Amino acid sequence: MVRWIDHRLPIFTFMKHELNDYPTPRNLSYWWNFGSLAGIMLVIMIVTGIFLAMEYTPQVNDAFDSVERIRRDVNYGWLIQYLHMNGASFFFIVTYIHIFRGLYYGSYKEPRELLWMLGLVILLLMMATAFMGYVLPWGQMSFWGATVITNLFSAIPVVGQKIVTWLWGGFAVDNPTLNRFYALHYLLPFVIVGVVMLHLIALHQHGSNNPLGIDRKTPQDSIPFHPYYTIKDMFGLFAFLIVYAIFVFFMPDALGDPQNYIQANPLQTPPEIVPEWYFLPFYAILRSVPNILFIPSKLAGVLCLFGAIGILFFLPWLDTSRVRSARFRPIYKWVFWLLVIDVAVLGDCGAHRPEGWYIFAGRMATLYYFVHFLILMPLIGWFERPRPLPTSIATTVMKRSSGSLAAASPVGKS
Amino acid sequence: MATTAQPSPASAPAHEGETRRDFIQIAATALVGVGATIAAWPFIDSMNPARDTLAAGAPVDIDVSKIQPGQQIVVLWRSRPIFIMNRTPDELKRLQEAQDTSLLSDPDSKALQQPEYAKNWHRSIKPEYLVLVGICTHLGCIPIAKPDPGSVEPNWPGGYFCPCHGSKYDLAGRVFAGVPAPLNLPVPPHNFVSDKVIRVGENPPGSTFDLASVEQL
Amino acid sequence: MMRTSAVALAGAVAFLALATIAVAQDEGTPPLPKQKWSFAGPFGTYDRAALQRGFGVYQNVCENCHELGLIHFGDLGADGPGGGIGYNEEQVKAIAAASAKQYPDTDDSGQPIQRPGRPTDTPLPLNYDNVKQAKALFGTAPPDLSLIVKAREGGADYVYAFLSGFSEDKNKDRSGAPYYNEYFPGHNVAMPPPPLAGNDVPGVKATADEERRDVVTFLSWASEPTMEDRKRTGIKVLIFLIATTGVLYFAKRQIWASLH
Repeated sequence: MVRWIDHRLPIFTFMKHELNDYPTPRNLSYWWNFGSLAGIMLVIMIVTGIFLAMEYTPQVNDAFDSVERIRRDVNYGWLIQYLHMNGASFFFIVTYIHIFRGLYYGSYKEPRELLWMLGLVILLLMMATAFMGYVLPWGQMSFWGATVITNLFSAIPVVGQKIVTWLWGGFAVDNPTLNRFYALHYLLPFVIVGVVMLHLIALHQHGSNNPLGIDRKTPQDSIPFHPYYTIKDMFGLFAFLIVYAIFVFFMPDALGDPQNYIQANPLQTPPEIVPEWYFLPFYAILRSVPNILFIPSKLAGVLCLFGAIGILFFLPWLDTSRVRSARFRPIYKWVFWLLVIDVAVLGDCGAHRPEGWYIFAGRMATLYYFVHFLILMPLIGWFERPRPLPTSIATTVMKRSSGSLAAASPVGKS
Repeated sequence: MATTAQPSPASAPAHEGETRRDFIQIAATALVGVGATIAAWPFIDSMNPARDTLAAGAPVDIDVSKIQPGQQIVVLWRSRPIFIMNRTPDELKRLQEAQDTSLLSDPDSKALQQPEYAKNWHRSIKPEYLVLVGICTHLGCIPIAKPDPGSVEPNWPGGYFCPCHGSKYDLAGRVFAGVPAPLNLPVPPHNFVSDKVIRVGENPPGSTFDLASVEQL
Repeated sequence: MMRTSAVALAGAVAFLALATIAVAQDEGTPPLPKQKWSFAGPFGTYDRAALQRGFGVYQNVCENCHELGLIHFGDLGADGPGGGIGYNEEQVKAIAAASAKQYPDTDDSGQPIQRPGRPTDTPLPLNYDNVKQAKALFGTAPPDLSLIVKAREGGADYVYAFLSGFSEDKNKDRSGAPYYNEYFPGHNVAMPPPPLAGNDVPGVKATADEERRDVVTFLSWASEPTMEDRKRTGIKVLIFLIATTGVLYFAKRQIWASLH
């Protein structure tokens, strides 16, 4: 039976090759679980989203009430809604950790540049999807967040305002906007699924990177994906689900904004307009940039916002080091943590009004972010003396398991 | 499997190790499988009618005192048309005539299309008041009330005529033989809460008839 | 490596913590005193008696000016979300019909009429018929209270503090709005101090503070009637997840033991 199907559509051979026998480095740490976690979160978001879509009404007078109806009247509606709401946050948590893993271990370097860029495309699609999804409950933050962000496009010279009107479908964020955001919010996750498949194909071309950053050379360097990484991914998944469940069941509103429990009122702006936490660093960058030469600060902010992600596309070339993993890069290791702190600072600035100390901090953090990628990465790559690389993955693993604490023996050039 | 440094122990402890290994792995698979199955239920149940939908399907009280003999009103209950007809004594007499009943498919209402308290020659609680679900059992159109004899065709005893494909029912909603519709018009749960008020959607005390149990709506 | 992972995790948690306190205390309002609520914590439940008293306070005091658009009378009964607040079908019908305001409807000939409340209706504010009237009367429309506990930073603690934060002394020199409130951001609020003097519910002896607690309990329920379902399900889910994670951990160790 299996052979009959496989002969006509080799799905079983494919699965055996890509999921079962697929050779994976034997030394992957738990930081490598986050890719599969992101995939699972995508599935959870799509499933919960489809069931929510069965009950939701994308009309300005009914949207807010339809969400409350889901929470109160639909069987288990409260559960599906909280899973979806918190799922967005957790999707971003695992994706950000996954990205920072890539930054630390040089997973973006040759031959994985395209893999990295596809990942960035997924990130951009996720951000668009999340932004539009947040508008759908039609709360105060939904409406005013949409107003602020869509207004950004008016910064584009000449055609800016026309583009904004085109996006809105009217004179302001209103029913046409809500309807089209709903249609696109339903569509984009499936586009993400497509790009994820490309991402996985690119991954399987050369296989996963590993904490040592060196290529697999001998068969002893790899182990089959099943059962080793299937069980490890399962374990990681359930450990992650515990944290997810704690938020969904015991603090479902902790990551959200109370203002969004008030129905959108176009005549009353909330005292603070704050995006969801996963957009805070970008929000800080957007607001930090002053007038630069002839570029007004609004346009400069928008350019820096997109530039912050755009710059990541060039990372494989900005990073001039020939060593992948930060384990063997003593200077870069510290600089990486500085970046993490910088992003945290940016996030904090995004959460507060741009007043007083926050203005200065936001500007310094934004400047540092670009300095990190444009100046520090190339320079460190050139001038750093990396620690000697180990011979192979297998030897490092053997050494570790036999109790030796000595550093990997230097064997010629890396 | 990689070889270990020590020589393999005797077969009995090794077998024990294997059963322990199998047990944990079976337990793991079972737990994950059970979890996934239980996790599916909230999603499936969310598609069942929601609380407010069920509340909107609550029984409705109809005051029948204003219906003249020979007249019918149509009310909406659970989004379906409900016929309430006040039958004249003449019409009731005709219902029992053999001339009429010989033309019918199911004159004794053998098919489960009505509650047990409507399984009689007048298919209702009180003979004067007929309560029917006004949906043709053929393909779902709403039949037209034609109580006057001869108003549809010669020898027409009075009843309902469905304009879509020509199905015919008598004044108790029983279907004629030889028409597209296979079954009598269903009778919904109903109860007289007072002399002139019918509550559609509720059974008289002692009955547990559920409209979903009929052969076909 | 483990140390840096731990540092990373700590940093991430710190960042999240900062982000969740996004808009901290502002404009000189004192910190909210923490209250004890029966529904707080992972094992919290609603006290049905308090809910019913709180609903009574709501009807006699708050309903004058506020709407409760998301709670239908039927929701208070056993068929309601989360099982309602403990009334049966008869009581629900009586409460609906006894609603002080009549409901606009049309009769069978299409003429506009006023009729008593039904379980599918929501409580109507007594002092005005529509939002424009409300704005004209009060300056701003009183907010709908269905989600008030979720819509305010500080939740139930805030609403309780707000209700007890009016000050007769500070209002002596004013005649009318705005009124002084200790905990309202900016201290000037259009809402007059509600007459929660105790004994606002016929047949229920209570102090003003008890009435405040009861009405906040009721409003918390109104914001999330399904909270008890949520927490109960959560305990079961967590026990299952922790157990399964444990088993999976041992399975992982076992499978990996076959490698060096």
